[in-house]
Amino acid sequence: MTLPGPGSSPSNVGDDLGLGVTLPGHGTVDAAGRRRVHPISPLVHGVSALPVGFIIVIAFSFGMVEKLGPVGLLVAVSLAVLFGVLVTAWKYLAWRNTWYWFDDDGDFRVDSGVLTRQQRRLQLSRLQSVDVAQPLVARFFSMAEVTVEVAGTQDSRLKLQFLTLDEARALRSEILARAAGLRHDAGEAPEAPIASVTPRDLAVSLLLRSVTAGLLLVTILIVFVTVLSSGWGGLGIALITGGLPILIVITEFIKYFNFTVAQSPDGLRMRFGLAKTETRTVPPGRVQAIEFVEPFLWRRWGWVRVRVNIAGVGHEDANGNKEETLLIPVATRAVAEDLVQRVLPGLDIDGMAWHEAPERSRRRAPIQWRRLAVAWDDSVFAARSGRVTRRLTVIPHARTQSVRVTQGPWERALDLASVHVDSTPGPVRITGRHLDAMTARNVADEQSVRAEQARAEDHSIRWAEGE
Amino acid sequence: MADRTKDAFTYADGWTAVSPTLTRARRLTLALVYVLVIAAVAALFWIPDVPVWVAWVAVGVAVVAFGWLWWLIGRRVRSFGYAERGDDLLVSSGIMFRRLVIVPYGRMQLVDVKAGPIDRWLGITTVQLHTAAATTDASIPGLEPDIAAGLRDRLARRGEQRSAGL
Repeated sequence: MTLPGPGSSPSNVGDDLGLGVTLPGHGTVDAAGRRRVHPISPLVHGVSALPVGFIIVIAFSFGMVEKLGPVGLLVAVSLAVLFGVLVTAWKYLAWRNTWYWFDDDGDFRVDSGVLTRQQRRLQLSRLQSVDVAQPLVARFFSMAEVTVEVAGTQDSRLKLQFLTLDEARALRSEILARAAGLRHDAGEAPEAPIASVTPRDLAVSLLLRSVTAGLLLVTILIVFVTVLSSGWGGLGIALITGGLPILIVITEFIKYFNFTVAQSPDGLRMRFGLAKTETRTVPPGRVQAIEFVEPFLWRRWGWVRVRVNIAGVGHEDANGNKEETLLIPVATRAVAEDLVQRVLPGLDIDGMAWHEAPERSRRRAPIQWRRLAVAWDDSVFAARSGRVTRRLTVIPHARTQSVRVTQGPWERALDLASVHVDSTPGPVRITGRHLDAMTARNVADEQSVRAEQARAEDHSIRWAEGE
Repeated sequence: MADRTKDAFTYADGWTAVSPTLTRARRLTLALVYVLVIAAVAALFWIPDVPVWVAWVAVGVAVVAFGWLWWLIGRRVRSFGYAERGDDLLVSSGIMFRRLVIVPYGRMQLVDVKAGPIDRWLGITTVQLHTAAATTDASIPGLEPDIAAGLRDRLARRGEQRSAGL
């Protein structure tokens, strides 16, 4: 427990808990340069499993605890702890078998598995993003997890649990630097903050989203009518119409709390989260499509939300839930456009010539028909829609996957058709609705040609190579 | 006006139609489903609590639906068409909800050729194209196996020549 002198840092390598204790096995590098995750990881997994253990024990022995009193409670707690110990033991075996390293081809390799051995090889040339996150329990241990995403349909996500926060950050920069074609010892790229969202703005913006505000208004009406008619039947419905939006607001508030965006040579770096801090880096040239969303009640402040499609990220998280990938949850128009300029340089929405839906489209879309339009320039295709909540979607020609023209019976009667420009899975869908049928077809044909030409000139796979 | 609507989903050099065998395959599938429908309707006559007139209405509905679906299958199959252009593939389909998909060759990630048991028995296959977008949904059913294999090979070759990253 001696204080390390200036020159004794190697002996201090495992002392990341600040307790002056060095765990055996930390920082292990074998002859082939393979590395292990932090030796405390099994314990983190074990502690994380405790709540599940309690739930299982309670579910199986609820009646017994009541009968036996304090003794039963003690037994229940010991059983839950035993569950945690078993998870720790199992994860210890997993830890012994888990190695990660960079191989000679420049790929990121991970070997893992206890009974079923798994060897995974991630091609860093297809890297989409690297995230560092600190789940709640891991944060108590000052640990972090690293999630690596490459482009691909299945099994394109890999999670390393757990490393110290510094190690995790260093690993992220190393992966990003290697993917960018730089030397791997280039060090962590310096970052400059660009934008942040205050908790107040976040809370207000979430409450004033069109669906939320609408449902809350309905709730107030229901409560009002119920009280007037002095019956109680409506309160059950009010609980649902009022409770659901409030739940969504709270969830999103916790998720996007303290949202900050910073510019680093690796790309845009987003940090956010209250219970679980997440870091997401979006390398330039990996943004597939962008959407500006502008709910009615945000307009007096000129606020917008910016959603993006990033190949391989965001459409589903580890639990299979749909996740919205955001550039920023709420910002003024100027800040949002500045952010978008960094991922799509040269975007000029106001300078584009908009081709609007014809007047007869009002019979198909009576409210939003005036805003329905598509536009394009040399590098992007754009579509706008929505009167109450305004939406503007943008996709670079080089990111166009395919183009579709569709026509329902009602559109057919009015000689209208919709054109869809397909992007990788994500929250953004690019659709030019209810255009003149022939115009829609011509736009689709031309978009296919523009996509082909743009792709031939696209060289953003290893963006920093040769620098 | 009707003529212009037609124009939006046509192709100047003409669509390549799919095999009429697809009509037979789909009508056969319909007939197999109807074995279950007939069994269900017949059961209505045997359940004591159901009035006989309800069972007869069910028979009527089933017969009308069968005729309509039979006719619809024929029209739907005739609506399928594809065309290989210089830089992209066009696939057109649908009667009530019409669609036209344009897939640039360089964006194709995968070309599947597949056939179910009935399709195999009648000797037709489906060619399905995949891009990095989940919404692309370009499949051409009802192709004879040698035509399908030829199409797949041509598409794969063109895709390889032009392929790019995401």
